[in-house]
Amino acid sequence: MMSTGPTPIDPRGPRTNQAVLAMALLVGFLADWRAVVPIFAVVLFLGAAFGPRYGPVLRFYAEVVKPRLGPPAELEDPRPPRFAAAVGVVFLVASAVAFLAGAPGLGWGLALVVAALAGLAAVTGVCVGCEVYLWLARLRGRPLTPAASP
Amino acid sequence: MIVRLVVVLAVVGLVVAVRVALDRRRRWSAEEALPGARFPAWVTEGADRTWVVFTTPYCASCGPIVEHLAVADPRARVVAVDASHDPGLARDFGVRRAPTVFEADGRGNPLRRFSGADAVREAVPA
Repeated sequence: MMSTGPTPIDPRGPRTNQAVLAMALLVGFLADWRAVVPIFAVVLFLGAAFGPRYGPVLRFYAEVVKPRLGPPAELEDPRPPRFAAAVGVVFLVASAVAFLAGAPGLGWGLALVVAALAGLAAVTGVCVGCEVYLWLARLRGRPLTPAASP
Repeated sequence: MIVRLVVVLAVVGLVVAVRVALDRRRRWSAEEALPGARFPAWVTEGADRTWVVFTTPYCASCGPIVEHLAVADPRARVVAVDASHDPGLARDFGVRRAPTVFEADGRGNPLRRFSGADAVREAVPA
């Protein structure tokens, strides 16, 4: 039954990514340091587009944090969190464009939406972008390919 | 600066509030009384006891739980029910997450319910 599709991942990797992203955006907002938005747009983009090996936080988790932890209790399909990260990139790029266009209120508003959703995912495991991915997959009526067993 | 601090605290407070609400709901779900529904014959027929594992296609921990139950409790039958293919059955049994696992008797009556892979492994060790 579970023999095709991408290899399941340790969900603590994306959770770490989301926690760092939320913290960075909130601290950046507090200090009005707008550069944090494009920087983390790039950080998210690298992981979403090229995989965890290229995402700085994901790689830090895999190489530094994970070896010090036990095995994960559960694994998850990598596609929904990658989609969620891609949505985050879109929001952060829009935020950066808003800053450049002289609309800092809109820019920080978009960044805070990303921070709130990333924080929510990191703290509760509820990933809104992942749910959107599943909803879209159902809406398109595509046969859903299960993730492979480890 | 004060306004920014209030906004940050509001975001953090919102996240914490959602976490607390979810924890309460999960506890309720795990302790929830078994629904009155009975599993259809195709699920439990031919076995004295059946583990019914509600799965979804994107649930990476569901396959390992099915395999775990087959090894840990070889006397029982293990049936995986894809909730996305059989939403009516999942709805009848109040399934909100995957894996949700029921132990059922030979007549399809649910005996025990577990939500999440950890709860199953804890209750049915290898």
